[in-house]
Amino acid sequence: MEGLKLKEKKANNKRTISEINKKIQNGDAQVLTAEEMKELVDSSGVQVAFKEVDVVTTGTFGAMCSSGAVINIGHTDPPIKIQRAWINDVEVCHPGAAVDLYIGATVMSEKEPFEYGGGHVIEDLIRGKEVELRATAYGTDCYPRTKLETTITKDDLNQFYLLNFRNCYQRYVCATNSRDEIIYTYMGKLLPHFHNATYSGAGALNPLMNDPDYETIGVGTRIFLGGGQGYVIGEGTQHDPGNKMGTIMVQGDCKNMNPEFMRGASYTKYGTTLYVGMGIPIPILNEGIVEKVAIRDEEIFTDVMDYGVPRRNRPKLRKVNYKELKSGKIVINDRSVKVSSLSSLKKARTVAETLKDWIMNGQFYLSSPSQTLPIDSTFKPAKQTREVNFVGSIIQKAVTCVEDEEIKAVAQRIISHSVNHVVVVDAQGKLKGIVTSWDITKAVAEDKKILEEILVRKVVTTTPDEPLEAASRKIVQNRISALPVIDQEKRVVGIVTSEDITKLIGG
Amino acid sequence: MVRVLLKFGKEIVDKPITSKIILEQKTPINILAAHVNQEGGEILAEIDSASAQKVLQSFREQGVIVDVRSLIEIDSDKCTDCGACYSLCPVDAITLQEDNSVEFDKEKCLGSHCSLCVNACPTRGIRPIG
Repeated sequence: MEGLKLKEKKANNKRTISEINKKIQNGDAQVLTAEEMKELVDSSGVQVAFKEVDVVTTGTFGAMCSSGAVINIGHTDPPIKIQRAWINDVEVCHPGAAVDLYIGATVMSEKEPFEYGGGHVIEDLIRGKEVELRATAYGTDCYPRTKLETTITKDDLNQFYLLNFRNCYQRYVCATNSRDEIIYTYMGKLLPHFHNATYSGAGALNPLMNDPDYETIGVGTRIFLGGGQGYVIGEGTQHDPGNKMGTIMVQGDCKNMNPEFMRGASYTKYGTTLYVGMGIPIPILNEGIVEKVAIRDEEIFTDVMDYGVPRRNRPKLRKVNYKELKSGKIVINDRSVKVSSLSSLKKARTVAETLKDWIMNGQFYLSSPSQTLPIDSTFKPAKQTREVNFVGSIIQKAVTCVEDEEIKAVAQRIISHSVNHVVVVDAQGKLKGIVTSWDITKAVAEDKKILEEILVRKVVTTTPDEPLEAASRKIVQNRISALPVIDQEKRVVGIVTSEDITKLIGG
Repeated sequence: MVRVLLKFGKEIVDKPITSKIILEQKTPINILAAHVNQEGGEILAEIDSASAQKVLQSFREQGVIVDVRSLIEIDSDKCTDCGACYSLCPVDAITLQEDNSVEFDKEKCLGSHCSLCVNACPTRGIRPIG
């Protein structure tokens, strides 16, 4: 008797995917979005929530750069083995046999770079628009054709599959900028001096966050993908479960997708990408899963990072949770600043709601993964056979002067040290400006006496840990010939000149 | 506050019209942006709503073209309500709603004088007009 009771009790605490699918078929599956479920757990507790709910739907809608689509255009007559191809002037990759192409989301148009790219091509095709295909080939005995120019729509394609190798980051960092200039990054436009911040992700509505141990998500999990149905095909690249930064690889038939959830996007001075709407149903198989889907925004933390430092390990300024991020304001260095989401929470909710409707209306069934995602893989940095040089490795001692010095004295210093740049500092050694030998020559010609009249106060600077390449880019972009090197307190620690960089990079 | 674009023609650009009106009407006028040369000028100004009608009438009487209009156009088909624009706005013309959607206050917007948000929109849904 006791044994039987125990067995019954156990059965009441569990639910299988096939039981859920039967309920979906009968039209009586109970489905809540992750946000609704969290409220239910809060008000009624885990046990009640488990009893009442079969499936929880999640959603996210954001930039997913490692996205793309495989298309097969069919054979031409005479046939062609495509070597290079372009759609609407966006080069598409030809990784396989004769007429299979991969449209990478971040590849930019050769005519309209930064504004139109692979992501826009995918969106246009999904919208049913006609696109221009151009291809070239070297010609073989079996594939003699060397040129192709035609127009295509999605209906002309044999296959049009989204094949994204990294999507749906469980959480992501929050970006800000310490520099004294606006920077344009994959985390959007960042104002100088930490004047704003950006983040991405749906927080407690994110699919992987609601199944953080990947108990129900794996190869073969059917998902909402771009307004159609797709599948998880494995862990995504850079999958990093230990840091709660899991990712997935997905595929889905673009011909059934909806442009509302598939948007080409442009990040100024960074490049193009694709915004993808994605939602995963979490089957409520046991109370343990209920506890996990109850996770709240305030329990999901991420780092605020300084994207002004272009290094792999960017300085972490503080920890912040998604509740603070979603409020639109966070505190950085004792000042409240506005924080922008780059992904759309509103659309993420639409994804979760739509998936909920599909399941309740019997249009979407759950699938058991044939293999769950790894929970122990790590994300290693790249092996580098040649180390990159940093500013610190070629820094020179700066020849300095103070603001109220006479031009003649500065000129003498330029000669005695045989340099072209004198850095102007205050009594604490902090940067006030710069003068070049040209400025001095001009001042003598114009009969000016005091340095103050000619010194350049708006100075482009660098720091010892900036990669030389980045410093070199600053020199070229600003058409200057040297950068004072400063520390965090703006104290001058040295100078790098274009000559020194050329010697190292060129030599 | 009412936001207006005041256009001064060549003939009147050298006259102290704005200061005169401020003194006569005893009302503050907040100048947000100004572009002036000998060919004419434009001032983007904020005027207290209560006295706006009288103030604008005075400007018109002085030969100033008064343009009360929206300085920004949002393409709602393109906007995904992400909020990338929100943190860039220096005058809080872009606000986050309860449901994290984005709302634009056309009266607060500085338009093309600012444009900080325009190239931050990933789907290019913001267009400054004037």
